[in-house]
Amino acid sequence: MKVTFPYMGTTVVYKKLLEMLGHDVILPPKPTRKTIDIGVKYSPEFACFPLKVIMGSYFEAIQKGAEVIVTSGGNGPCRAGFYERVHQRILESEGHDIDFIVFDSMFRDPQTFYRNIERLRDGTPWHKVLKSLLLIYDMIGKLDHLEKEVQRIRAYEKNRGETTRIWEAIQKDFDQAYTSHTMKSAFKKGKEKLQSIPVKHVDKEDCIKIGIVGEIYVVMEDSINMKMEQLLNSLGAEVERSQYLSQWVTYNMLPKWINWTHEKAVLKKGEPYIPILIGGHAKQSVGQIVDYGQRDFDGVVHLMPFGCLPELVSQSIVPKISEDYNIPVLTISLDEQTGIANNQTRVEAFLDLVRGKRKQRLNKEEKMVGKKPESYCTSG
Amino acid sequence: MKIGIPRALLYHYYYPFWKTYFDSLGIETVVSSPTNKWIMDKGIKYSVPEICVPIKVYLGHVLELIDRGVDYIFVPRFVSIQKGQFFCPKFMGLPDIIRHTFPEMEPVMLSPYVESTTDDLATSLKQYQIFEDKFGITRSDNRKALKKAETVWKLFREYSLNGYDIPEATQKAMSEGCQTIGDYKRSLDDKYEYAEVTIGVLGYVYNIYDSVISLDIVNRLKEMGVRIKTFEMIDDETLKKQLANMPKTLFWTFSDKLFAAGNHFYHDPDVDGIIHVTAFGCGPDSMLGKLLELDSTKFEKPFMTVRIDEHSGENHLQTRAEAFVDMLKRRKRKLKKGALA
Repeated sequence: MKVTFPYMGTTVVYKKLLEMLGHDVILPPKPTRKTIDIGVKYSPEFACFPLKVIMGSYFEAIQKGAEVIVTSGGNGPCRAGFYERVHQRILESEGHDIDFIVFDSMFRDPQTFYRNIERLRDGTPWHKVLKSLLLIYDMIGKLDHLEKEVQRIRAYEKNRGETTRIWEAIQKDFDQAYTSHTMKSAFKKGKEKLQSIPVKHVDKEDCIKIGIVGEIYVVMEDSINMKMEQLLNSLGAEVERSQYLSQWVTYNMLPKWINWTHEKAVLKKGEPYIPILIGGHAKQSVGQIVDYGQRDFDGVVHLMPFGCLPELVSQSIVPKISEDYNIPVLTISLDEQTGIANNQTRVEAFLDLVRGKRKQRLNKEEKMVGKKPESYCTSG
Repeated sequence: MKIGIPRALLYHYYYPFWKTYFDSLGIETVVSSPTNKWIMDKGIKYSVPEICVPIKVYLGHVLELIDRGVDYIFVPRFVSIQKGQFFCPKFMGLPDIIRHTFPEMEPVMLSPYVESTTDDLATSLKQYQIFEDKFGITRSDNRKALKKAETVWKLFREYSLNGYDIPEATQKAMSEGCQTIGDYKRSLDDKYEYAEVTIGVLGYVYNIYDSVISLDIVNRLKEMGVRIKTFEMIDDETLKKQLANMPKTLFWTFSDKLFAAGNHFYHDPDVDGIIHVTAFGCGPDSMLGKLLELDSTKFEKPFMTVRIDEHSGENHLQTRAEAFVDMLKRRKRKLKKGALA
């Protein structure tokens, strides 16, 4: 089968999994202006941004010859659970008869889930499937580990753009690795490569940490959030995201009673603000801001697609949390009307504010303790 | 003691229920004024700019009630009224939006969870236990009040199903509880005997029946001699039939009903055209609107989307509605001629 999937984050992972199951994978191109334009042309005007981008990338993948689309489903209350239906109808009305394999939660409808697995397995023996799954899971974890490093080191790199280049090379290395042994060496090599990046020394009081929270697609896919991570890094801030693929997979695969994942803890922190799950990542966003506040981050950037239903609720609550935990939050809603310069200005202004606030706080602490804080916080 | 009920969102669907319930418990209720400029402005001022206009208006109504000095405000948390389905996330987070925007309101908010398996709210007693603790009501009184509320609400639905719009049905159900319905149905048919065209108006009750939000589109159309059909006038069985062969339905209860109603209108030979009234930025509508629009060519029935928000212009709507109705009339006459020739 010529298979494709929605483009999000580190796509090597999905590609590898499908390849290991013996499929011909059509990797959708990384979303560009053109992808977005195609998506916007065919999608409902007020659909959320991820739907439009994914729509565009489906059209591009179909042009490259994809016959089957593998995607995740959902059962609400967020719109994302209905994406596949709308996508399918639109593709149909444009004359593309494409097969969809949709994975809904396995706890809700185990039968369909199993049938989908069977289709995707396509005769591959079970032990091999299991082996691939474990390998992929391992790979996600490793990639996420490295990505966290990248998000820190990039803030202090001497040569602009070097870290990003190396990160892309690392992903390519992982793409070539098909056994746990090669994966391990790719991981080791990646780590070394990152270590060797020349970095500037920065005084401790100038090191700032920014968290990114929000809807998973716009948080994970940098080509549609105007490269938020790189922008923050280039302005000298360390970055941490609320979502990493490995966390998401662990949270969604484990049954409720042994689910003690990071997401669970974050949800707990969101409880005082939104007592129930209202779909999407609203509660996670809220909980994550609380988490960053408790971990003494200097600021939070809250990303959401324009008109996102759950995130609108969290956006309404953000001013309260920001006050409660004394942490500045910048909400940016994203859609096809991108204004890079506008965005840059807003983020720069935000970071200035965050830096000022940090200085103020350190000065106060200094007065109380009476000694200068330790300098140099970077590695290398 | 007074409980304030905001005249917004599902007030338009459940008012007969809530009113009867509180009345029979001997609790005084105050309903906010119909949406006006003050309410609209206040709502816009205190809500995030991107959120849809019905939610903004809701905030305005809550503020008006506070201004009028009520002791409690009734802000239920709508979670689900059908198994496997939910409300829009904004409804589920509504009390959170309000209590975190106005922290001083938290102690006066009454927010029962609306969580049941049918749209008859009386079926889950659990939601109403918070009133027992708060107002010292016994369990049996609570039950009795619910029973009474259920009866009135069912009557209200019965009127709706017989073609009355919501304000008419509310008034009838609340005032003339014991009348039989058959007679009304006949007189209603007489009233519309000369209506040339019938339009299916798709839209949530809180948009359609709020004369400021929807700029009174229902009465505008009526004045043009159009007969109106809306989703709440169609019984559940018919709606369910429309969805039976869908591989996956929408998981928001009222959107699902609208979607089914839209499909029903396409199949109903009495309906000449469909107008979809939707709020700017409404998430569920963005999906169902597109799906219905794609079907419009298949069934050869005109479909128009009217998008509303706090900046909607009256003249613009009037012109569009008139043009649409004229087009439908012309089309119908032409079809008739074609059949005769």
